[in-house]
Amino acid sequence: MTTLLPDAPLAPAASLTRPRRRLGRVARVTIILAVVALAVIIVSLWMGTVSVSLWDTLRAAVGIDTGTGADFIVGQLRAPRVYTAALVGALLAASGALMQSIARNPLASPDLLGISSGAAAGAVLCIYLTQNTSSLALAPWAVLGAMVAAALVIVLGSRGSIEPFRLIIAGIGIEFVATAATTLILTKIPDNIVPQAYAWIVGSTNARTWEHVWMGAASCLVILPIGLFMVRRLRVLEMGDDLAAGLGLRPGRLRFVALVIAAIAAGLAAALVGPIAFIALVAPAIARRITRSPGITVAASALMGAILTVAADLAARELLGSIQLPVGLYTSLIGGPYLIYLIVRSKGQFQ
Amino acid sequence: MTTLEREPVRLDAPRRSAARSMTPWLIAAIALLVVAVILSLCLGARSIPLSTVWDALFHYNPDIAEQGVVRESRVVRTLIGIVAGAALALAGALTQTVTRNPLADPGLLGINAGSALAIVVGITIFGVRTFGGQLWLAFLGAGLAGVAAFAIGGRGAGMSSPVRLALGGAALTAVLGSVTTALLLTNPDALSSFRHWLAGSLIARAEAPILPLAIVGLFAVLVTALITRSLTALALGDDSAAALGTRPGRTRALVMVSVTLLAGLATALAGPIAFIGLAVPHLVRGVTKARLGWLFALSLPVGAATILLCDVFGRLVARPGEVPVGVTTALLGGLLLALMARRLTVVTL
Repeated sequence: MTTLLPDAPLAPAASLTRPRRRLGRVARVTIILAVVALAVIIVSLWMGTVSVSLWDTLRAAVGIDTGTGADFIVGQLRAPRVYTAALVGALLAASGALMQSIARNPLASPDLLGISSGAAAGAVLCIYLTQNTSSLALAPWAVLGAMVAAALVIVLGSRGSIEPFRLIIAGIGIEFVATAATTLILTKIPDNIVPQAYAWIVGSTNARTWEHVWMGAASCLVILPIGLFMVRRLRVLEMGDDLAAGLGLRPGRLRFVALVIAAIAAGLAAALVGPIAFIALVAPAIARRITRSPGITVAASALMGAILTVAADLAARELLGSIQLPVGLYTSLIGGPYLIYLIVRSKGQFQ
Repeated sequence: MTTLEREPVRLDAPRRSAARSMTPWLIAAIALLVVAVILSLCLGARSIPLSTVWDALFHYNPDIAEQGVVRESRVVRTLIGIVAGAALALAGALTQTVTRNPLADPGLLGINAGSALAIVVGITIFGVRTFGGQLWLAFLGAGLAGVAAFAIGGRGAGMSSPVRLALGGAALTAVLGSVTTALLLTNPDALSSFRHWLAGSLIARAEAPILPLAIVGLFAVLVTALITRSLTALALGDDSAAALGTRPGRTRALVMVSVTLLAGLATALAGPIAFIGLAVPHLVRGVTKARLGWLFALSLPVGAATILLCDVFGRLVARPGEVPVGVTTALLGGLLLALMARRLTVVTL
């Protein structure tokens, strides 16, 4: 059992003795996060090279016909992109929260374990085989790719029991394999796809449409309630398999179901925007810290993921003026140093 | 500790018997390299019979197009492959030895990524156009990234913890790679000319002067040869090594110099290629065990042969186009890394 967060092993006991106060804080922070998420989304809809009044922005963003340029600028260009980013961030963060709970390790996340890259490889394979680029068509392939990657990581990275360090090494390996496979398939796809190719390697929210928004919304509506439903059981599981079994849970099956849900979430996110790195790693960790929650928090994590992704997307759009870089680059620039911080701080704790 | 430690260190290994048992392997490695060179010269978008290749090399007739292909393109990429592959393999063997960590590969640690970033910064921001200038930047980037990688992964449990080093390297590679990609994406001209190089390619820098680079590589090999005995002593621990008359700090510094030169020149030539430095020493060690001199000696031809075979595979799999060699090495090397995860044994120090 290896955990980097010093309070993690002891914290579940604390939640049993003082459930009320803790829950209160989690709920308060979750509400604040929801408000912040809404604010970030509105700012992101409002800001841009073409200035639109805030009132027009708000009306156009919910589909009300304003009769101004906002209908197109906000309604057709910015809103789909921003909403997709928010929904994808929520999916990724939920996926990361589930995986960190299963592996009992803050480093377990679909991007470090190669699952996001596996999903991207599946999506690109679909483009190659069927020439169809709609997210709806890509989704099953991306989910399949995520599942295959997850299965490989687990088979290769466990010896009898799941050991986090083995899982992570296997995950880094599968990550390289999946990214290489994506590049390999991209070279087989005709046309000049160089800029789009980078979108499938680092993740991009560019040129999303309402189709993506609806698919993202449907995915969140399925994944997040299941995640919320599983939270309590997973928290029990974090206290150990024996205790969980004693309380009437089936640890093996629970872990398997949670992993499948996490892989599906990562796959759906990748079908929408490609593999956006580090959101799944960072968002649950921040959510856990600010809620001071003993176990995972799916709702707060999902909101945090939405905030981070929308903010990164805003940076990708506006920071460098006319030069638009894929959002995945910005998330790597934030997430990479955070990962380095985790490693440096962990001292000898995790072997 | 790791698999590296399981083998008893044979400081006083009887030299003659070691030489006798290893010589066939050296011959086999060189034979493998010869086969790889022949395949690299013959196969590609257009397969050229060996006799034509022979004529192109020794009885060149500029009127025959196929001979031109061999001389203009295949010879250059084969030479680049030999230099880059041998350099990466030796750099990997050195880092694995000095960190006692089987996952210490300059590509995986982020050293190659640092080198690539320095080159791209030079191109896009300072307008460094000459290969020589880029080479110096490559050395600078490799050195800085190497220091950063060891600073991140080497604290606490020490460099021998495979997870720390690998994860630190992955994070470093992600950050450095993002900046590199971002710089290239903001500069369309540089992107179009350096895209293939960034994926790892043997033809992207065909204009590179091979001879001076080979001399830099040979210098690093010489340094390695001179410190092999000290490194063997270092495997016993710093105190024993000091007692045996070597200076551990100086040995490590010289390793760092060698690795920086080797990784820097390989990256300048062929882009940030990972896994040659992981896979080749891993395979070679199966034969040489703890005999470091032989590990280094065998890594050179096997590394060159491996990168050439990966390159040939990349040429054949996507005819008439081709897959950059870095993609092939990542595909095979990533799988190897995932398989190694099963076999790693980690014991807390």
